[in-house]
Amino acid sequence: MDVTPQSVAEGLKRARYITNERVETAIFLALALEKPLLIEGPAGAGKTEVAKVLAEMLGTSLVRLQCYEGLDEARALYEWNYQKQLLRMQADEAQGLRWEELSEHIFSAEYLLERPLLKAITAPHRVVLLIDEIDKADEEFEAFLLELLSDFQVSIPELGTVRAIERPIVVLTSNRARELSEALRRRCLHLFIDFPGVEQERRIIELKVPDLDARLAAEAARFVGAVRKLGLRKPPSIAETLDWTRALLQLGIKELDASAIRAALGVLLKHEDDRAKVETRASSLATRPR
Amino acid sequence: MTSLREQLGRFIGELRSTGIRVSVAESIDAMNAVAAAGLERARMREALAATLIKDEADRESFDDLFARFFASPARGKTRKQHPDHRGIQVSAGAGQGKPGESLRPEPKRSDESPRESGRAAGKPRKPTETETQAARESMKDARGEGALQPAFAVSAAERELGEAEEPGLEGMRIAKLREIERTPFSAYSDLEYERAQEALKPLERHFRIRLGRRLRLARRGRIDFRRTIRAGIQRGGVLAELRFRARRPRHVDLLMLADISGSVRYAAELMLELMAGARNCFRRVTGFVYIDRLAEASFEQGHLLTSPALDLYARSDFGRVLVELWENHRELLTRQTLVVILGDARNNRRPPRADLLREISRLTRGVVWLNPEEPARWGTGDSAIEQYRAAVTALYPAGNLRELERALLAAC
Repeated sequence: MDVTPQSVAEGLKRARYITNERVETAIFLALALEKPLLIEGPAGAGKTEVAKVLAEMLGTSLVRLQCYEGLDEARALYEWNYQKQLLRMQADEAQGLRWEELSEHIFSAEYLLERPLLKAITAPHRVVLLIDEIDKADEEFEAFLLELLSDFQVSIPELGTVRAIERPIVVLTSNRARELSEALRRRCLHLFIDFPGVEQERRIIELKVPDLDARLAAEAARFVGAVRKLGLRKPPSIAETLDWTRALLQLGIKELDASAIRAALGVLLKHEDDRAKVETRASSLATRPR
Repeated sequence: MTSLREQLGRFIGELRSTGIRVSVAESIDAMNAVAAAGLERARMREALAATLIKDEADRESFDDLFARFFASPARGKTRKQHPDHRGIQVSAGAGQGKPGESLRPEPKRSDESPRESGRAAGKPRKPTETETQAARESMKDARGEGALQPAFAVSAAERELGEAEEPGLEGMRIAKLREIERTPFSAYSDLEYERAQEALKPLERHFRIRLGRRLRLARRGRIDFRRTIRAGIQRGGVLAELRFRARRPRHVDLLMLADISGSVRYAAELMLELMAGARNCFRRVTGFVYIDRLAEASFEQGHLLTSPALDLYARSDFGRVLVELWENHRELLTRQTLVVILGDARNNRRPPRADLLREISRLTRGVVWLNPEEPARWGTGDSAIEQYRAAVTALYPAGNLRELERALLAAC
């Protein structure tokens, strides 16, 4: 695929991802400059989705590394398959092989457990590597990742250096549980995805819940936009908005009035105090400004 | 004619002068990005932002600068939310007649911008006359020969969204938090203190995660041979399953001493509150506040309680506080105790008793001193920090919320 800003916009449209020029440009640059893309933004604004859509757009596979506290190289990069090595050693011993031959056997690719990072590097074609929630991983891990992101090569002491055949497209996401290092930021392109505006959200609802009445979709988008401004503990994500509109559809609601808002609020808001806050304002949120 | 490369170079220079850090590698990226994305205005802006702005909090300053630097041919039509923009447009159109006059909204704007005042941590808030002058000069430079800018086509999307420059909800919230994190404690009033308390919540969480993680880090410690061999017995003596030693959690008692005299009061209260949130990362947390005497402090529902009550108008005397601690609370000073002291060490020239502090440092796990004062002022006037420096394990500056947090993380 020839990479131009237009082709990226087209590709995103085909992959049914509605977005704005900011996101398009960032994705385009990630492809054109072959640099990792660091995406930040509130939970549920569609960060992870970018990587999935990118893989779909390029017709390639997605390799995902979910980060968590205490994630180490053994879980992220590779690990020797200890049990299998042990079996091999015993089998070889029975045949009376010498140590040199033996060690050649047990330290080969066959006994290596590939974890996501190594898998992405050794893949024969270009894949999309998603490093999800990098902020949850430890700082030590981040430092280790830096080396990988700049050269796309890994050295395994027993095997030597493994170089990427095709550089993977790397997408990192962060929820800001902690501050990422300057060094990592410097090496990445940066994209901030905020909650969509009312108009954009309406288009998303219309695309994903096509059965919903267009007028109700517009009202739902406006309502969710207003709810997000209330300063809730957990503002509704796009996925929750979509679930909620589907619920409206199932409940057969035609008009978004106060009682309709109360009916399915649990789909949209997952904290009791958030719910109470919105319920008390239900009637004022329901009235449509003209 | 100026080349686009030079223009971008100047743009990056301006960006740096607003306090945004841009590395050389990043500026090369930016040039490549523009080369790839093309000169269509909105796309070029996003391309520059993606390569140069790595923190959403800086986005507002970037957008302002971009709007000033790369003028759009659609003169002021779509630009309702940039009142100052028109002025510049006019001045650019009318040549260099009276740049000073038509540019007047400029410095005012930078005063209003919350980002800028946050950035200028420790510095005077208003740009000095020379700075303003320099900004004007460079503005004049940038648009000097009139036709030197490439023509920027306005994309359909941009027209449709009318610049769409309003930062999103989350973006705004982050920018606000960022600003307060960088405001020096010395510039605090009750208003800033209230806002800092809001900023404390994510910090608290961050802190809990960090400290909690240290306990859990390397869950798999060293190989436990005894248990590995026992597990091997089931498999005829083959050590097929490795067993690891679990790590023992640390037992740390935290002892905090916080100066609540005038100048550093806010820093002290924020520290006590922050650590109240991280209390279950320690075996025991004891908080003291002091001015010239020691008083036990606790945090209940966001209010600082001290017993006995302190004379808030007394003059600081840390030497006496050390003596009181030594004589009345020696049982708290054990090998498990980490002592964290927050104060400016301004002792009103009374005996500092650094010898006692050294003794405490020897008895305990360590003594860490956090000084909210600007490092340049340490040791000047009645500051006894240099005497204490030799007696403590570590000394960190803690001039704003971010530094305070960083120092506490390093200490614990």
